[in-house]
Amino acid sequence: MSGHDSKYFSTTKKGEIPELKEELNSQYKDKRKDAVKKVIAAMTVGKDVSSLFTDVVNCMQTENLELKKLVYLYLINYAKSQPDLAILAVNTFVKDSQDPNPLIRALAVRTMGCIRVDKITEYLCDPLQKCLKDDDPYVRKTAAVCVAKLFDINAELVEDRGFLEALKDLISDNNPMVVANAVAALAEIQENSTSPVFEINSTTLTKLLTALNECTEWGQVFILDALSKYKATDPREAENIVERVTPRLQHANCAVVLSAVKMILQQMELITSTDVIRNLCKKMAPPLVTLLSAEPEIQYVALRNINLIVQKRPTILAHEIKVFFCKYNDPIYVKMEKLEIMIKLASDRNIDQVLLEFKEYATEVDVDFVRKAVRAIGRCAIKLERAAERCISVLLELIKIKVNYVVQEAIIVIKDIFRRYPNTYESIIATLCESLDTLDEPEAKASMIWIIGEYAERIDNADELLESFLENFPEEPAQVQLQLLTATVKLFLKKPTERPQLMIQVVLQNATVETDNPDLRDRAFIYWRLLSTDPEAAKDVVLAEKPVITDDSNQLEPSLLDELLANISTLSSVYHKPPEAFVTRLKTSVQKTEDDDYVEGSEISVNPNDGATSPQATSSYVPQQAPAAAAPAPVPDLLGDLMGDSAAIVPVDEPVTPSGRPLPVVLPASSGQGLQISAQLTRQDGQVFYSMLLENNSQSVLDGFMIQFNKNSFGLAAVGPLQVPPLQPGSSARTMLPMVLLQNMSTGPTSSLLQVAVKNNQQPVWYFTDKIVLHALFSEDGRMERGTFLETWRSLPDSNEVQKEFTGITITSVESTLDLLAASNMFFIAKRKNGNQDVLYLSAKVPRDVPFLIELTAMVGQPGLKCAVKTPTPEIAPLFFEAVEILFMP
Amino acid sequence: MMISQFFVLSQRGDNIVFRDYRAEVPKGSTETFFRKVKFWKEDGNAEAPPIFNVDGVNYFHVKVVGLYFVATTRVNVSPSLVLELLQRIARVIKDYLGVLNEDSFRKNFVLVYELLDEVVDFGYVQTTSTEVLKSYVFNEPIVVAPTRLQPIDPAAIFTQGAKRMPGTAVTKSVVANEPGGRRREEIFVDIIEKISVTFSSSGYILTSEIDGTIQMKSYLSGNPEIRLALNEDLNIGRGGRSVYDYRSSSGSGVILDDCNFHESVRLDSFDSDRTLSLVPPDGEFPVMNYRMTQEFKPPFHVNTLIEEAGRLKAEVIIKIRAEFPSDIIANTVTIQMPLPNYTSRASFELEAGAAGQKTDFKESTKMLEWNLKKIVGGAEHTLRAKLTFSQEFHGNITKEAGPVSMTFTIPMYNVSKLQVKYLQIAKKSSSYNPYRWVRYVTQANSYVARI
Repeated sequence: MSGHDSKYFSTTKKGEIPELKEELNSQYKDKRKDAVKKVIAAMTVGKDVSSLFTDVVNCMQTENLELKKLVYLYLINYAKSQPDLAILAVNTFVKDSQDPNPLIRALAVRTMGCIRVDKITEYLCDPLQKCLKDDDPYVRKTAAVCVAKLFDINAELVEDRGFLEALKDLISDNNPMVVANAVAALAEIQENSTSPVFEINSTTLTKLLTALNECTEWGQVFILDALSKYKATDPREAENIVERVTPRLQHANCAVVLSAVKMILQQMELITSTDVIRNLCKKMAPPLVTLLSAEPEIQYVALRNINLIVQKRPTILAHEIKVFFCKYNDPIYVKMEKLEIMIKLASDRNIDQVLLEFKEYATEVDVDFVRKAVRAIGRCAIKLERAAERCISVLLELIKIKVNYVVQEAIIVIKDIFRRYPNTYESIIATLCESLDTLDEPEAKASMIWIIGEYAERIDNADELLESFLENFPEEPAQVQLQLLTATVKLFLKKPTERPQLMIQVVLQNATVETDNPDLRDRAFIYWRLLSTDPEAAKDVVLAEKPVITDDSNQLEPSLLDELLANISTLSSVYHKPPEAFVTRLKTSVQKTEDDDYVEGSEISVNPNDGATSPQATSSYVPQQAPAAAAPAPVPDLLGDLMGDSAAIVPVDEPVTPSGRPLPVVLPASSGQGLQISAQLTRQDGQVFYSMLLENNSQSVLDGFMIQFNKNSFGLAAVGPLQVPPLQPGSSARTMLPMVLLQNMSTGPTSSLLQVAVKNNQQPVWYFTDKIVLHALFSEDGRMERGTFLETWRSLPDSNEVQKEFTGITITSVESTLDLLAASNMFFIAKRKNGNQDVLYLSAKVPRDVPFLIELTAMVGQPGLKCAVKTPTPEIAPLFFEAVEILFMP
Repeated sequence: MMISQFFVLSQRGDNIVFRDYRAEVPKGSTETFFRKVKFWKEDGNAEAPPIFNVDGVNYFHVKVVGLYFVATTRVNVSPSLVLELLQRIARVIKDYLGVLNEDSFRKNFVLVYELLDEVVDFGYVQTTSTEVLKSYVFNEPIVVAPTRLQPIDPAAIFTQGAKRMPGTAVTKSVVANEPGGRRREEIFVDIIEKISVTFSSSGYILTSEIDGTIQMKSYLSGNPEIRLALNEDLNIGRGGRSVYDYRSSSGSGVILDDCNFHESVRLDSFDSDRTLSLVPPDGEFPVMNYRMTQEFKPPFHVNTLIEEAGRLKAEVIIKIRAEFPSDIIANTVTIQMPLPNYTSRASFELEAGAAGQKTDFKESTKMLEWNLKKIVGGAEHTLRAKLTFSQEFHGNITKEAGPVSMTFTIPMYNVSKLQVKYLQIAKKSSSYNPYRWVRYVTQANSYVARI
């Protein structure tokens, strides 16, 4: 062949199409071939050469493979637009599928499968049937893929003609390439079929594991992925599978390595031997790290996957934190992922090294990276209590450099640190105040203002500082306005002197009259009313102790994390979203019902800084979406305003009187103008109730009771109306109010706080707080298999374990203790003796299916109970300890 | 596990190759992709990640010699498979065409389409082995003269300065015959080590790492078996050692943290005598990849000083010393250092008699740049720069400048001490004696000195 292909791209002055037509019909072979090349060239640059269809197809009958391939390429492109003409090619296709040359047979089948024209498809079946049983493996492997093509065009035809069975037979083919394609085709058909087509049993498992050793690298990926859906029947089988797969970790192809990792992680769930698991973790670490030596694109995929893996099994890479240090030439998307993992792997042991790195990153050039590094320092401070002080001193060092965006980012994270460690690091406030004038970003400003308000009593010139912000109140963004409002109220309550008094008037005026923002206006009205009705109550509300926040770097919900881990080495593991959230080409029949939950979960992970740490959350008494109130309303309506949705308030009429043990008093008669309320959450028959006792010690009849629960950590809300009859003076009523979970979730850290408002027609609204007793929330399905328990215990990092000793509790007998706990859905797993102490293991499950593992250690008859719990959400442990105290109360 | 489309775009977004395997992605995907990548600004990142989703279509891309290699899909595929595939397609095409650039693509588009049809069927990877493809692909490549060799091309590192190597050999096509009609019997084994070192401000090594590859490219006819012997004292895995024999690690042994092998490599005698045997397929491929964090002597020592010299002035002194033997020459050395962003001017002073050196201050990025054509082993070079600031600096000036980063290439030198002791080719006849090229090269990956 002479000359360059690129000459085919040049155009002549004469009409191009007629000239090509002429050349295609030339009597000379070479000329025809050149002409077809020109046609293809025109096609690739987007020119319409479909009018040459017949002329090109005429060149199809040739022994020259090169020319034949070109014509086929053209056919695939234009058959759809010229279905009638495409029929002209059928005869040649059928003939070619019987050619002595296997390459031509394969080419014919391959091309026919790509032409999505019904009439052609009919003619495809016979040749395909033959080719699936061809002597030549190249033809068979092409035919295997062709079945998947046909299924995509006409699924019925595939089933009717028995192609599925033929495909399954190919799994036992002696050529690994054929096996790999058969597996790929079957997997795709299964994905798009509602009936079981391709299920892996122990026979196919053995076959495929054997084929794995001989396959090409790509075939290995197909097979490993198909196998990852297989659930081993027992630990021994799982170990066997893992043993066969482990050598794949040494493969140079990253896709093979990650698929093998996925498979091993999957089987590890079943393996019970700690030695085997420890060994596997050790084996997986070096190949995972080696993925970071690949091209940056692959590194990105590896890092997104590692991010998931370390959440589940932090020990795997606990000692490898250095490899996640950023290189100066890493692309920004790699650096950002490395930072995330560094935070996840940061521990008391390596924090000094990590801080040194973060400090360096914080002085780099890329602004986004610098910001993220500063935030990372703050997140480490929140995560590691013992390192908090060192983190803060690094932040202060950075603030002193006075790079504007560094200072602002530092102030935002320091606000979070104050929330995490209240009354510990306030000495640095003075340093922060030096940078006050340079703040120009809303989030940084809002954070600084929050700090000033929160610690107004310790900042001598707090009024001066806030006043400087007040001047521009109308121009500030909403975020800043809200903080200014709250901070000024705090200042006023803490230092009710003349100046703050003036300031509060200005702010309230601005925030109620001059603004269009309903959130701001509502908050201002509430403050206004609180302050004018009862300044002491206002103090209780506004200056109440805030729940402590926790680290958010382990953000993914356990159920989402598990699903993502099952999808390691797929797009899902890169996006950190379940496949349903982005795959649009999915069969509809298997749509999961819990879709929405997952999507929600993944959004949380996208915005790790929302909610828990935002300054708005500090004034948690204020609803975020309260309906706009035009003017101060009469007091009884305050309930509606205060708790949000007033339509949810339900009248109380039907009497019920169940009995129970004495309930704790939540509203004493002395505070309730004679109305006393005792209440507690309880659980009966799988349902949570708010068990209440209302006693009327006043002189008048009380009726029209209504109840409302504020947003809380478990989203507890009443299912129906509060059913209490009119209460005569001196009488009382009991009621069991059915509750639902997960209805009105509060953002922010988990807390046992349950705020309740009760009103009746005669009295003002009563607000009281109750504690959520955790054991009322343990669900009936919390029983765990022993193996699962062990596995879960082991898979959780030590930092998730929380312990507490109860010196005042005495266990009188193991059996009665277990009965007591079982009544609250804490299920007995195992018991062992440790000296003369009994150690009990129990499992439970809290809402959102979070496992809760309990270890109790005690000596029967002797005072003292040691209690250790391990759970993916250790922040609820204190609630559990409260529950223990209630349960074992004499 | 399948892709929907594959295409190659130029840096300007022109369509160079486009193949749709499944007809399930709407038209205009190339434009959508290019626009997204060009104007990426999500999550605060200025550079598009290699994988993203637009309207239900997932786009994967890698950049090879300035071209975008892109795949699309609608399903939940293995992303590493697709990215690896894109790299391999680039490698196969380079094996065939010799040189990879827009020009060679355009001159060989029929061949490229033929290759793409064999590499992927209905979106499923079939093979990326040049060796296997040779039986199914019939078009012959039209070789483009490597006039404009892209510096990113790994082959390019051998073409500069090192006269002992036939520079063009690595860029010739694996399948094309040479003008004489006969092919030269030869085989190239390259030991390429990319090193990353971070020095603390006081000159200590904070982290150091070697990413190594033994790369092979065979032009031998008849596929003879090859044996490759590595250091006998080669050890794999740090984990097993106790803390007590830690001292021996600084001795003569070469300890790899991890390594992996090409599928053609047989490891039957690797454990006993550290030899690899293989029948090399055609084309370029990595025989073995390895990773090392064992201590090694960094080839360059960098010493940086930045000092204020008056109210609006400061002086920077950068000193580099080549810590390798004098018969070794490093080339294309670049040193960069970000300066405080209120720097308005920088004037440079090179040592007396300096040749082949260039200095620059990039106003827009506030970057100091110092280029040295070559550095002989043992030599020391110094750069002095006087900076002028547009405003007074506050606080610590060292916090607002640096770190100093270096890029370089050192041919015929490797820091790991890993060696190919011998390269044995199974003889077909007594007169059969093909050319063997075993070449070492060390490159900087991330070579950084903090100040």
